[in-house]
Amino acid sequence: MHIPDGYLSPQTYVPLYGASFIFWAVALKKFKKDMSAKYIPYLAMASAFSFLIQMFNIPIPGGTTGHAVGAGIIAILLGPWTAVIAVSVVLIIQAVVFGDGGITAIGANCFNMAVVMPFVSYWIFKVVKGNSKGGMRLYTAAFLSGWLGLSIAALITAVEFGIQPLIAMSSDGRPLYAPYPLSVAVPVMALEHLLLFGIVEGIVTVLLLKYFIKHEPDLIYAVKEY
Amino acid sequence: MSFIDSGISHFGRVIKTGYIQWELASKDGFFHRIDARIKVLFLIFFIIIVSLKKEIVPEIIIALFVFGLTAISRLNLFNFYKKVIPLGFIFGFLIALPSAFNVITKGEVILPVIHFSRSYDFWIYHVPETIGITREGISGVAMLTLRVVNSVSLSFLILYTTSFSEIIRALKVFRVPDAILMIITLTYKYIFIFAKTVEDMHLAKKSRMLDEVANTEARKWIAGRIAFMFKKTQQRCEEVVKAMLGRGFSDTIKLYGFRKMNSMDWTAGFFLFFAGVIFLWS
Repeated sequence: MHIPDGYLSPQTYVPLYGASFIFWAVALKKFKKDMSAKYIPYLAMASAFSFLIQMFNIPIPGGTTGHAVGAGIIAILLGPWTAVIAVSVVLIIQAVVFGDGGITAIGANCFNMAVVMPFVSYWIFKVVKGNSKGGMRLYTAAFLSGWLGLSIAALITAVEFGIQPLIAMSSDGRPLYAPYPLSVAVPVMALEHLLLFGIVEGIVTVLLLKYFIKHEPDLIYAVKEY
Repeated sequence: MSFIDSGISHFGRVIKTGYIQWELASKDGFFHRIDARIKVLFLIFFIIIVSLKKEIVPEIIIALFVFGLTAISRLNLFNFYKKVIPLGFIFGFLIALPSAFNVITKGEVILPVIHFSRSYDFWIYHVPETIGITREGISGVAMLTLRVVNSVSLSFLILYTTSFSEIIRALKVFRVPDAILMIITLTYKYIFIFAKTVEDMHLAKKSRMLDEVANTEARKWIAGRIAFMFKKTQQRCEEVVKAMLGRGFSDTIKLYGFRKMNSMDWTAGFFLFFAGVIFLWS
């Protein structure tokens, strides 16, 4: 999901920086107003937690291990606007320090994983959960929020890749950036995320929510709102 | 590898990366001595140039230029490229490789791989009679690989010659608010503190185990540890707030200013800018 440098044309990465910037500005304004002095340590700790979630390897059926992006569960636990900042900060650190994702693609990566994913996950969870405070419906909501949140973010990423051959070609017809057209990028990204990575994300979301519901239900933002 | 071992190796890698970066950034080479603002402007300028170049030759020249800068900065070239090349290979070459075939990139087939009796059409997909690597496709793969290698090596050149907090502080030249820079700096510091805590948790678990844990049990343990870390971060947040207020925090974030730029900074800045303009127009 981390788009490296070189795959997106300036026509794509510049507007996506702009789109992410709007969400960062709104989120920060909201926190500054609501939390005053506390918002900086609060967002820093949320970001550190968001980074840590991605580092835990979880055994998945089939004998292998996988890790979650965590944007969905962060949105459920801390709210979607906290997730916007927390996941963005993680993506910036990953791009600068670890070489995961490109510097020109920070805007795109933040838009996909720190804006689309938390909001989609959060609203799917809220809609499917309804008024239930536990049981099968709540866990179905958690699974769907993780699974669809990641899959839809992957779909948006695939569209960003897939439009490159349409908008940036050399004079001899050679794609200058991501070479895969929509007809390849969309099915490949959609299938691998719907059938594999999305399921891991859904499982992690359910596992964590189950633990919090049992031990710390008051800490869950998306549940205590009612 | 069990989930415990992969967890330990994951967290260990994070701590090691931070330590290597900190150690290399504190050495004394050409790039180490330049002001962080010049280096960050150079990074952004050159990464944009790399993304704008449409031919292989300019990308190769930029790669050689970065190699030269790395060498005069007295970074260990073997260790530097040991980190850069795998990232370029995975994110540049491997991901782009299938696009070298004529199924994706049309053009002159220079290396036929499979030959069918006739071509096939499925829905919007076309499978040609001969599947093979095209000249245009291979040139696209080379272009993407070079672009990824150049971008990664530029990022690592700055990262290994500048402390992380200096890089983040230098973003002030782009008018990034101090509050954002403070959040990123604080997060970076706490990632390493918490990564060490989690690594210790994994080691403690491993030392108590005689046999492999069942997957269901393992997942429950991980969920519990993540929840523990969540509480720990919340607790640390409260402590940081109290410490800030105790030291007279007045709700205004202000990062300390920079040292005055000297003649070496200006000369290096002019040289890098001039080199960038040449690359941009060539």
